[in-house]
Amino acid sequence: MELTIILCTAAIGLYMAWNIGANDVANSMADAVGSGSVSVKQAVILAGICEFAGAVLVGSSVTNTVRKGIVDPSLLATLPGIDASAAATIMVIGMTAALLSAALFLNFSSIWGLPVSTTHSIVGAIAGFGIVAAGWSAVNWGKMGQIVASWFISPVAGGLLAFVIFNFISKYILGQEKPTQSAIRYTPLIVFALTAVVTMATIYKGLKHVIGDIPWLTDNNTLYLALGLALIMAILSRFWVQMKLKDKSDLPISNQLELVEEIYVPLVIISSCAVAFAHGANDVANAIGPFAAIAQILQSGTIEMKVAVPFWILCMGGAGIVIGLATYGYRVMETVGTKITEITPSRGVAADLAATTTVLICTRLSLPVSTTHTLVGAILGIGLARGLGGVNRKVVTSIFGSWVITVPAAALMSMILFLIGKYFFFDMIRTIITQQ
Amino acid sequence: MNIIRDLIGKSPFGPIVEHTKKVHECLEVVRPLLRALIAEDYERIHELQNKVSRLEYEADQIRHELCNTLTRRYFLPVDRSELDSFLNAQEKMADHAEDIGVILTLRKTTLHPSLHQPFIDFINQVYQVSGTLLTAAVEFKSLAEVSFGGAESRMVLNRLAKLGEEEWKADKMARKLSRQIYALEDQIKTLDIIFYEKILLKLSDIANEAENAGDYLSTMIAKG
Repeated sequence: MELTIILCTAAIGLYMAWNIGANDVANSMADAVGSGSVSVKQAVILAGICEFAGAVLVGSSVTNTVRKGIVDPSLLATLPGIDASAAATIMVIGMTAALLSAALFLNFSSIWGLPVSTTHSIVGAIAGFGIVAAGWSAVNWGKMGQIVASWFISPVAGGLLAFVIFNFISKYILGQEKPTQSAIRYTPLIVFALTAVVTMATIYKGLKHVIGDIPWLTDNNTLYLALGLALIMAILSRFWVQMKLKDKSDLPISNQLELVEEIYVPLVIISSCAVAFAHGANDVANAIGPFAAIAQILQSGTIEMKVAVPFWILCMGGAGIVIGLATYGYRVMETVGTKITEITPSRGVAADLAATTTVLICTRLSLPVSTTHTLVGAILGIGLARGLGGVNRKVVTSIFGSWVITVPAAALMSMILFLIGKYFFFDMIRTIITQQ
Repeated sequence: MNIIRDLIGKSPFGPIVEHTKKVHECLEVVRPLLRALIAEDYERIHELQNKVSRLEYEADQIRHELCNTLTRRYFLPVDRSELDSFLNAQEKMADHAEDIGVILTLRKTTLHPSLHQPFIDFINQVYQVSGTLLTAAVEFKSLAEVSFGGAESRMVLNRLAKLGEEEWKADKMARKLSRQIYALEDQIKTLDIIFYEKILLKLSDIANEAENAGDYLSTMIAKG
């Protein structure tokens, strides 16, 4: 019986992960596909690998936030009128309701074509069931405030970073008398930043999941390792760029600019992969956070929050995202590939680097943010740096509109599903939990 | 439905350059018009008038499509009202070129032999102004690609800086040509004089609008 419930909730978790893969992943590769640097097929394969890696390696900290940060089960048990087993039961039913409502909401809104964030819907859904299950005090409003603040801060931060990075590229490379020479000088800096950000995010806590604890890998050593690796990559890139662009500085400027953009083709592929990686790291939690909470309670019978997110659950989330990408997401990817002609590789690198950095920092801070919205912010930043011909203002307002709708709508839906679930399944699940 | 795709609208700079090129085509008809006038080939003038009027209409079409995409919905890397004024100025250049065609078809004007060379010289000077603008404006799209900074932009700005001087030269020539026209008052019909003056004014207007367009272009490039 307990296994049946785990399997059912796992299926809902996979459904949610499928939604993420189907709708969001195409955005993370948009710059590489849109600039024509990779084909749609290549992008699907690369995104699949990077999403999975991000989910498995770095996905745990945000998962913990979704699992126990918003509605804290131990807090739930201290509320009057709720004993430990009731709290555990409420968590199981509530998390299932939240997961299902977020997934359904996403599915509907993608049918209607609304730019809804998976992150916002799951956070709204969890808060929703918390309120109806045990009142306002069941929700950790401090954490909730942080999360909501991060939704504002992450697109703005992404935009600012992209603005700075693109201004740097356009001023010191594209705008120089001899762009090829400047590219040789400054491209390694960009490679350095990109490598440092991704490696730091990966090895800081990530490797622990795969190869277990490495005693010498302290915070300081991680930093040195990441910077060292970044330095090596920067030096390698310098040789490579030099090989490609040497003796080209006498060509007409427009030819030189074309050559420089060619240099950015591999970079935009790598940086888009980094966005996919960051997306996997941050967004896998939306699918498996609730499921991890359910599985843990059902397996142990108690609310033991010290336990880490099991490795297999992270893998499951990663796999769900990849399946969503393979079965539906490639179609969304195709629409990106054919329409964007304005994104050149250099603009793509700037937007990607900004978005990756912002999302990975938020992941480190255990904050669930919307990768897509951060990327949108980054692209707006490039628009502000006069890098894009026309940026559609309406999309920005539609994003704000979707914020206002998503959280209450997902919350309301999860409240209703929770009440239905509680009415039919409360006693049954409580028996299972107390039997453990 | 994809948010990133929707976010990045179509860049207006491609169509803007198209508009510039079309205006250029209109102006290119003016010289053959004058040659036909000198040759007194009125059939040819009619043909050319049709051509320039069609080209002007096409430029209009491009402009109209641009206005549809240049709604407030889009953030642009240049000032919208300056862009509008720039397109207006270009539009007027095409209009004036068309007007010259129309003026020449109104009656069988003959150009006094003593005015042949001065008119050709003046047209060349007007072309000097409009040509400078148009070569600069055709660069607009590639300037957008380097976000209006850097060596290429400085080159275009330098080129535009010379526009004022060229226009001033054209003005001086226009005054001189005017005096030459009026000096003929006892030899030719008054109506001929009126028509010469009309053509002269339209040509001056082309140079004038080219200078205006150039000014808008430089401010757009120089600031965001």
